[in-house]
Amino acid sequence: MSVATASRVIEFREALREAMSEEMRNDKRVFLLGEEVAQYDGAYKVSKGMLEEFGPRRIIDTPISESGFSGMAIGAAMRGLRPIVEFMSWSFSLVAADPILNNAAKMLYMSGGQFGCPIVFRGNDGAGGQLASTHSWCVESLYANVPGLKMAIPYDPYDAKGLLKTAIQDDNPVFFLESERLLSTTGHVPEEEYTIPFGKALIRREGRDCTIISFGRPLHFCEEAAAELAKEGIDCEIIDGRTIRPLDIDTMVQSVQKTNACVVVDQSWSFASVGSEIASQIHSICFDELDNFVHRVHSDDVPTPYAQNLEQAYLPNARKICEAVRAATYNA
Amino acid sequence: MTIEITMPRLSDTMEVGTILHWHVDVGDEVSSGDILADIETDKATMELQTFDDGKVVSLVVNEGEQVNVGTTIATLTGDIPAGGEAPLEELVQTSVPENSEVKSSASVTASKTEHLGSRVSPVARRLAEEHRIDLGTVTGSGPSGRIIKRDILQLVDTKTETTAAATTTQSSVVAGQVSTAAQPIKPLAPTAPWQEDKVVPLSNMRQIIATRLVESKQTIPHYQVTMSFDMDPLLEMRATLNEQLASSGVKLSVNDFLVRCCALAMSSNPEFNASFGGDCILYHGPVNVGIAVAVPEERGGGLVVATIRNADTKSLRSISQESQYLSNKARTSGLSPDEMGDTTFTISNLGMFGVEHFTAIINPPNSAILAVGAAIEKPVIRNGELAVGNEMSATLSLDHRVIDGAMAAMYLKTLKELMENPASLLV
Repeated sequence: MSVATASRVIEFREALREAMSEEMRNDKRVFLLGEEVAQYDGAYKVSKGMLEEFGPRRIIDTPISESGFSGMAIGAAMRGLRPIVEFMSWSFSLVAADPILNNAAKMLYMSGGQFGCPIVFRGNDGAGGQLASTHSWCVESLYANVPGLKMAIPYDPYDAKGLLKTAIQDDNPVFFLESERLLSTTGHVPEEEYTIPFGKALIRREGRDCTIISFGRPLHFCEEAAAELAKEGIDCEIIDGRTIRPLDIDTMVQSVQKTNACVVVDQSWSFASVGSEIASQIHSICFDELDNFVHRVHSDDVPTPYAQNLEQAYLPNARKICEAVRAATYNA
Repeated sequence: MTIEITMPRLSDTMEVGTILHWHVDVGDEVSSGDILADIETDKATMELQTFDDGKVVSLVVNEGEQVNVGTTIATLTGDIPAGGEAPLEELVQTSVPENSEVKSSASVTASKTEHLGSRVSPVARRLAEEHRIDLGTVTGSGPSGRIIKRDILQLVDTKTETTAAATTTQSSVVAGQVSTAAQPIKPLAPTAPWQEDKVVPLSNMRQIIATRLVESKQTIPHYQVTMSFDMDPLLEMRATLNEQLASSGVKLSVNDFLVRCCALAMSSNPEFNASFGGDCILYHGPVNVGIAVAVPEERGGGLVVATIRNADTKSLRSISQESQYLSNKARTSGLSPDEMGDTTFTISNLGMFGVEHFTAIINPPNSAILAVGAAIEKPVIRNGELAVGNEMSATLSLDHRVIDGAMAAMYLKTLKELMENPASLLV
């Protein structure tokens, strides 16, 4: 099963919870820790009811100290447990940069293979809506730069469950980037267990004129843009990369070989970003198939504005994506 | 002095040639008469000799590469200086040839180089190569005049429109290989791994078939006229002759009789030995009958037309020998241009496969082609009575610019008289 076809419809946050609960039932080593995950049912109600089912030894409320509880979880992972660390927001993970980047991502390498770090860091990434510049971080480009970690970004409830289960089962540190704006969205999710493999992109929409590559929430803007562009006769193919590391460049290249045009939509800033990396790889792998250079849509190169209208203008949105596709296909 | 060696025109219809093999390397000294390369044309593989003495400076075209006639394929330095090699600068600077014929090909090269420097998107460049579109003829619609995919595809579409009326016999041509390819094709989605479509690039032979037959079907106003022939007398005589001549190794085929009949009928119907010349009709002196020969799959498939020259003056026996020799050679080692050029009429015979009736596409510059079916035993009316006899159906495809319907009927009438009274073929 690669896309949602089940009859049951649940919220994105419920899909995340189901993934964690299933894995905790299957594997006693798995536990969840983070700010307000237990008594308060999670700041965003993702872990609702989990304290009741699994008890306070496996659903652990932590102090407001990302550096501390991340480091603690990494130690637990090195000693054989499989922690899930919830960051209320990935913006707060910045204070834990040393443990998550310097320890988790490098532990297997630095210990000469003696200690792995099977851990999942998960939480809200990207603009949540008027959270202003310090709490609206998109960390994908920043963190994907580091070798040794994996990074997944779910697009809908179906992927949220399937990818999170894969993340928990993975023996490496996985950075799992959710979106506050998607938590209440609903979708078809099977009740049975399933996983979605890392490194396999999914074509969300088939088209012949231009390939649009994105991850997570901006894919919804891509779909809006594709519907708008279809009225103009521009037929877009949308690829959901699903994971940034590993990156399924093969599927992306195959699509570009068909369309000869490509737009990468990445909600982080453009400089030294996931978008620039994908563009660079496409340029080097299928240069001769391109009708134009790979165009990119990012958040604007400024701190995230607080004002609602400015925030909307700052983020990748359907209007910007339409403009980029028109330019990439010489329809501007 | 630098001498540019260009792709020569080795046959009338040759437009492109492929360097199969270079016999020389850069730096080799060559003298007049030396073989430089093997060149594959639309019809045969031929050796390219040098007419000059000198040293090979560059091999511009790689082995396996196909270029247009007139394209520079190699350069030589003439007159090797006594002191050794000419300095490189001098070689480069003196690349402007004196002879006007060479000059024209040099200017083509120069203009090509200019286009290579202009703005072209990578995929547009690749598509132009595939569809054999000279980028110099394309106006770019992208920023700063960049030639983009759309510009090339529009040209391909225009070509497709003009070939839309083209014969369906070409519809399976692989897209992008031949400019006459009817429509872009895409592979079908396989439902099982062993069902995957396979792309086979066109052989030289198939390219020339595609190009020439589309041209024929598009430009020649074809029409067909069919007639049936009573084959009993001819088959009877053939059996007698073959029996009597068996000891001398002669085995006449029905086709040998046909070649002779067609040739004799051409002598008395000269329009059938003529070509349309735009503002004139060219009546040929010699009567050269072509026979279509299928090339076996292991030799690349396709078909060639072998020429029986002066067929109207040849006996059945010599037609038979010549036709056997040429068919065998065509199927095994291939024919030389001489053995397949200059036809004035063509016979395509599928009778040996049991085909009853078909129509053929005229082989330009011929004005007619005869499509021959099998002699089939069937109920016939002879002298007002129902009898069993052998009948053969043959269909002429004709160029209406040269031959009108009544003339076609006259020709078939002559042919019928000859076929049904075969004794006259012996003299």
